[in-house]
Amino acid sequence: MIRALRLLSLYIRVSVQNLAAYRFDLIIRTIMSFVHISAELVGIWTIFHNTTNIRGWTAWHFLVLAGVYRMVAGGIRMFIVPNVRKLMEDIRNGTLDFVLLKPVNAQFLVSIREFVVWRITDVVLGLAVSLFGCWKLTNTIPLQATASFFVLMLAACVILYSLWLSLGVLCFWFVRIDNIEMVFWNVFEAGRYPIVIYPPWVRNMLTYVIPLAFITTIPAGALIGDDQSLILGRTAPLIAIGVAAVSFAAATWFFNFGIRRYSGASA
Amino acid sequence: MTHVLRAFGAFLRVGIGTMIQYRGEILLWAIWGLVNPAVLYALWSAAAQTHENGEVAGYGRGEFAAYFFMMMIVGHMTTAWDTYEMGYLIRSGTMSPKLLRPVLPIWEALASNLAYKLVTLVFVVPMWILFALIVRPAFHGAPWQVALGVVSVLLAGAMNFVIGYCVALIAFWSPKLDATGEVFFGVGMFFGGRFSPLAALPPLLGSIASLLPFRWMFAFPADLTIGRINHPYEAFAGLAMQTAWLVIGIVAFRLIWRSAVKRYTAVSG
Repeated sequence: MIRALRLLSLYIRVSVQNLAAYRFDLIIRTIMSFVHISAELVGIWTIFHNTTNIRGWTAWHFLVLAGVYRMVAGGIRMFIVPNVRKLMEDIRNGTLDFVLLKPVNAQFLVSIREFVVWRITDVVLGLAVSLFGCWKLTNTIPLQATASFFVLMLAACVILYSLWLSLGVLCFWFVRIDNIEMVFWNVFEAGRYPIVIYPPWVRNMLTYVIPLAFITTIPAGALIGDDQSLILGRTAPLIAIGVAAVSFAAATWFFNFGIRRYSGASA
Repeated sequence: MTHVLRAFGAFLRVGIGTMIQYRGEILLWAIWGLVNPAVLYALWSAAAQTHENGEVAGYGRGEFAAYFFMMMIVGHMTTAWDTYEMGYLIRSGTMSPKLLRPVLPIWEALASNLAYKLVTLVFVVPMWILFALIVRPAFHGAPWQVALGVVSVLLAGAMNFVIGYCVALIAFWSPKLDATGEVFFGVGMFFGGRFSPLAALPPLLGSIASLLPFRWMFAFPADLTIGRINHPYEAFAGLAMQTAWLVIGIVAFRLIWRSAVKRYTAVSG
């Protein structure tokens, strides 16, 4: 356990040093983070220039959700995407050998090798927007809701990690799929807005078949905490933990199953 | 001219071959062009249904369905990725051999662009039909509006390609700037009417949109086809605007290209 933490902190340090080497990039990317969140805000402004609420969700509700969406999108690109890309590259080139030979759990190691540190701006900006929306709705920062929000976000991270790892593992079979991540982004696009905008059958599908609701709408709803935005009620954190546990177990199994297909360098 | 045409034919054949070879990958790109309008349809139709008279900005549920159905088609026909790719082509040195050919690289880009659109039609057309069957769009377009709409969709595709290619040439000055594509796409998305019909934009944003070329690429062909542009005069004025922007784009390309090539320094050969 301690060794694992030391490894993790080592990789984070290397990532931070890498970031410091490309400062011009950093400036451009920080600007782009602001551009992204502003675009999101302009979108919300446009929607609510025309109406006061959509199925009970007001502009401030949308703001909280937009913040959560940005946080999640930033978090994925910070922790998950770079590692899964590296995994797929290693499978393609046969360099996954170097991971498998090390005396650490392979799944752990492939999941922590690279972090895109500057994406933290997305996470921070997203959180700020969310909290501002909450404050506008309730005049307080909702401390009583933060516990269940935190649990839900953690569960969302685990679900996302499992999804992405499974996409990466597909590379063991289909070696050349450069943009398989588009599978994820195509679905994720539907989570940009609260799932209440969809007809019931799509809503159910996005909750129980593809657990997209657990990634954006349900955490945002918990943070807001009023009746119409609390989807699945107060039991949501428990269900989310269940979904997260099942997806993590499935992804781990799938990873180990995939490893057996791997035939190594020069194969 | 004949040698350009012959080269273009060859590029097109190669392009189609490549697209068929990478059919799985390009399919995943094409799906985004379906998901995004479908999500926005859900958003705006929910807004319309929640609103008092079932309308938002003059569009009811069925009209939003028609509008975003057209956005799928217009979005497909106007796909172009040069703004994203040019920086990479220059940095990786892939641009150098293209520049040595006796044909401008834009012809090759155009051929692979058309190849993408043709090959993916096999997949997207059934999806368009499926979407239409699910959401039941309310089309009010008269035959003349639909006929002019088809022309304007094609003009929109040409316009977007040429103007996008001009913007992509920024990469000759700053090949490390990867944000060009994203910004160009995002601005077009919003001020072109892909996020919402232009009638729904707040006045300030609406007046910005009327100055930019994007509305003629996206909102105009869609609104024309679904029958929201009622006077033939307006429709022809719109087609004239599209043609004007296309000509401006071509002239701008010729001017910028000349100085871009002079700026070019090969990277990594």
